[in-house]
Amino acid sequence: MIITRQKPMEEILEMLSPYRGVALVGCGGCVAFYRTGGAKQTREMAEKLREAGVSVVALGMANRQCYLCEESEVAGLSDAERIRKVARELEGFAQLEKAEAVLSLACGVGVQNLANILDIPVLPAQNTLFMGRRRVEGDFDLEQCLGCGDCILAFTGGICPIARCAKSLMNGPCGGVFNGMCEVSKSRVSEHPVPCAWIEIYRKLKKQGRVQELRKIRPPKDFTRAAHMRKVAWGVQK
Amino acid sequence: MKEVYSNFMRSLLSGKFTISGEVDPPRDANRAAVEEQVRHLKEHVVAANVTDNPIGDVIMNTLAPCVIMQELGLEAIYQATCRDRNRIALQSDIIGAAALGIKNVLALTGDHPKMGNHPQAKPVFDLDSVLLTRVLRRLREGENMAGEKLEHPPRIHIGVGLSPGVEPLEPEIIKLEKKVEAGAEFAQTQCIYDEKVLERLSEETAHLDIPILPGIAPLRSVGMAKFMLANVPGISIPEELMKKLENSSNLTETAIDIAAELIAAVKDYGFPGVHLMPVGMDAHVGEMIARSGVR
Ligand code: SF4
Ligand code: SF4
Repeated sequence: MIITRQKPMEEILEMLSPYRGVALVGCGGCVAFYRTGGAKQTREMAEKLREAGVSVVALGMANRQCYLCEESEVAGLSDAERIRKVARELEGFAQLEKAEAVLSLACGVGVQNLANILDIPVLPAQNTLFMGRRRVEGDFDLEQCLGCGDCILAFTGGICPIARCAKSLMNGPCGGVFNGMCEVSKSRVSEHPVPCAWIEIYRKLKKQGRVQELRKIRPPKDFTRAAHMRKVAWGVQK
Repeated sequence: MKEVYSNFMRSLLSGKFTISGEVDPPRDANRAAVEEQVRHLKEHVVAANVTDNPIGDVIMNTLAPCVIMQELGLEAIYQATCRDRNRIALQSDIIGAAALGIKNVLALTGDHPKMGNHPQAKPVFDLDSVLLTRVLRRLREGENMAGEKLEHPPRIHIGVGLSPGVEPLEPEIIKLEKKVEAGAEFAQTQCIYDEKVLERLSEETAHLDIPILPGIAPLRSVGMAKFMLANVPGISIPEELMKKLENSSNLTETAIDIAAELIAAVKDYGFPGVHLMPVGMDAHVGEMIARSGVR
């Protein structure tokens, strides 16, 4: 899932300060599952904003902000009508016309999709961190995929070194493994302890009797397939 | 017959016990600091490594001290890490270094920038040490990564690093096997203070056709020993060494003795040479080697 963290209230208030009426739109996907942007958190956010003096005119929930609708489906509609079309009402939809901006509680993908179909500004309530999962035990989030465009999980025991090795190494552990932990666990900037992904990969492959997978030299990542900021033309990617 | 470009490789192939040293570039543009280290090392080692911004602290780059050293008559082993350079910069740097007379390159992954004094920096790691090794061999064979032919390929020998004390050791040994397959011609290890580590290293690498130079560095104090144990991966320091340091009335002498014993042990275990990291005790390197009796 997409892991997010709510922005600090001061930052949200600063973002909203130019607008007189604000509508909130939560999301029923990852942010609901991890309790940062579901219906409950959307209501809580409205409460906190009102306490701080923000005029929250309406609240709504999109089923998934990462897929709302085709642009053609909302052609000719006003912003308020568009919000009514893609979100279910929690409160105040009759007043949507008064909204000068929308605060989205979805991840960065959802914010952009909503912004794409609205003329008024859509602002992010979350910092979007990565694709991964929340580990409830130990209360930390685990990044699991970088969307590299060329998945190598088949020979790494289902553990991604691109996302989970601090150096995204392709050919085994570096010299920085310290009692099974990655060297960045002991860095000057404080952090959670991070297990060395390559030691985890080694242990998993060993258990599966597949250590020979580690013996093959894996080629350098091809960043024409894997660079950030890439654009994938639908139907063109092989 | 294999072509030999460097004195260091010639020494290894001759079967002579080969000693490499290490030069730490200064933080600033102080050429004299490099010259000083070279003066101390020159008579005692065949070649010396120049580190590439270890732990990611900003210091003088690798190439400048390499060139200064060679002007003064000490052969350089240029350490190249994948931390700050992508495949374009790495190839370009090595080609330039070769044009300036560098003949040995050590291919390393490099520490994560989070470890150093610029933790905000973007980590690169476009290649890893295995892949860099392979790229260096390809360059030497007259082709860059794009497959373009080089009429004047860099004539370099390729070395790699090894962490012999890590647990589990098997993935580290597998990685060394891959480095050998990729073209590594020599290996130098992280610091070793424990003869048991030397013994295990010699057993676990017996099947590999590559000269391995165990890394030895003097232990200057109990504080340094404790710091290494707590912060450097794969370090073990036997109780008796700790005692020697604790009971020492002259730490410099003790440090020289400990280093000398370890150097002797390296030879006893049949390694073809040793990689000596003076860590500030450059003036005493000659004494460490003399007391070890390896020459
Ligand atoms: S290898 Fe690439 S696609 Fe597969 S999990 Fe890792 S980052 Fe994602
Ligand atoms: S210690 Fe492990 S996870 Fe950390 S950078 Fe090295 S190989 Fe990657």
